Amino acid sequence: MQLTVNGKPESIESKDSLNITALLEELKVKDALYVTVELNGEILERENFDNTTVKNGDSLEFLYFMGGGR
Amino acid sequence: MDAQSSFHFETLLIHGGLEPGPAGATTVPIVQSSSFAHATAEDLEDIFRGRKAGQIYTRLNNPTTDSLEKRLALLEGGVAAVATASGMAAISTAVLTILRSGDEILSSSSLFGGTYSLFHDTLANYGILSRFVDPTDLAAFRAAVSPATRLIFVETIGNPKMDVPDIAALAAIAREGGIPLMLDATVSTPYLARGRDLGADLVIHSTSKYINGTGSTIGGAIIDNGTFDWKSPLYPHFELYAKKYRQFAFTARLRKLMHKDLGACPAPMNSFLLTEGIETLALRMDRHCTNALALARFLQTHPKVAWVNYPGLEDSSFHDVATRQFGNRYGGLLTFGLYSQVEAFRLINALKLARNLANIGDAKTLVIHPASTICVDYPLEQRLLLGVSDELVRVSVGLEHEKDIIGDFSQALEAL
Repeated sequence: MQLTVNGKPESIESKDSLNITALLEELKVKDALYVTVELNGEILERENFDNTTVKNGDSLEFLYFMGGGR
Repeated sequence: MDAQSSFHFETLLIHGGLEPGPAGATTVPIVQSSSFAHATAEDLEDIFRGRKAGQIYTRLNNPTTDSLEKRLALLEGGVAAVATASGMAAISTAVLTILRSGDEILSSSSLFGGTYSLFHDTLANYGILSRFVDPTDLAAFRAAVSPATRLIFVETIGNPKMDVPDIAALAAIAREGGIPLMLDATVSTPYLARGRDLGADLVIHSTSKYINGTGSTIGGAIIDNGTFDWKSPLYPHFELYAKKYRQFAFTARLRKLMHKDLGACPAPMNSFLLTEGIETLALRMDRHCTNALALARFLQTHPKVAWVNYPGLEDSSFHDVATRQFGNRYGGLLTFGLYSQVEAFRLINALKLARNLANIGDAKTLVIHPASTICVDYPLEQRLLLGVSDELVRVSVGLEHEKDIIGDFSQALEAL
């Protein structure tokens, strides 16, 4: 499956369907507890990470609140 | 940071947010640079978009200031902290992040004069009105919540009124109304009580005072406890931030708008001085507290003193709430009355050790006559509302030997 992650192409092998929680693990996204996920330009609520799956061609942004004592 | 959060308060004062410095440096490096270069255009784009961490420009963030912010967030148990150029910059930036024209602040009537001026005069010019209510009258405070109230603001120990509101009870009123509680904890410091434990959503410090501890530096801080639900329909301007940044919604909005726009950032040198000063906060506060109690007891028995206001005195009407709230410690600030302004001036002029100046929280004992100085611009009625009568002298009790402090006041009182 071909995805665009933070503006760069990303290939995920042998996965037909993957939810956001699994994708964060697969891509070893750092500070997964704090990351904000945008799927095709829409912010995803954290409670929907498990029931939202990505498909071929999707574009994702993994964003962080920066600074401020963290 | 998470590994550090199990450390005790005294350990966090020294090690919180401290990364190993260049060449084995054990203090926070002073990164005196206005801006920060990055290897590629893509790198800087990623930082601006929030894809990865990185420094941009010292008005927005700076490595020295970041160390201070991390330490303050750890000490308060907050999710984030923002350091500012002064305590007033912290209050201005924080309240303007929340409030819009037509909104109201329900504020303690017992306030630092600068905060009163900001709320009563400056913000009123922009359509943000404040109601000032005695924070120790819980029924009156609850009754003053209006449909336009969007912020409750209180000081842990009123400066210079020296009243001690029941913060947990005020936090309950804030929760009932679905309104955040912002607590100015400058006088108590996180050592006497953490705002989070008292139920505050946001905590303000003038770090110029006890956090610095030496009278060398002006600074302020805003600590976000991440406890308020900014998805509330009362705050539609927070909707996107709450969705995107969840528990960081307040600090994200503050950093992306008011802190960036007002530009009241600290100089890296000042952030360094504050990280140095804060290391000894616990030791200093213990001495401030014992010295202040000793001076309060001496003044209380002196025939030329009309009254003493210090929550550590057993007959203070705030003794019980202060004991519960601050764990048998009552801070380094007290006020006392003579019998006239003339006597107050004579006393200040006769003091040899205590310095006559407009500050608190220094290692040195400080005095001031608030009615003629920091509150001189207020009409009598407003001044009395702030608890500032003509005969009142404020003392910020320092770290000198208690016998020398008492001796100085003793000789000055004898000279009256």
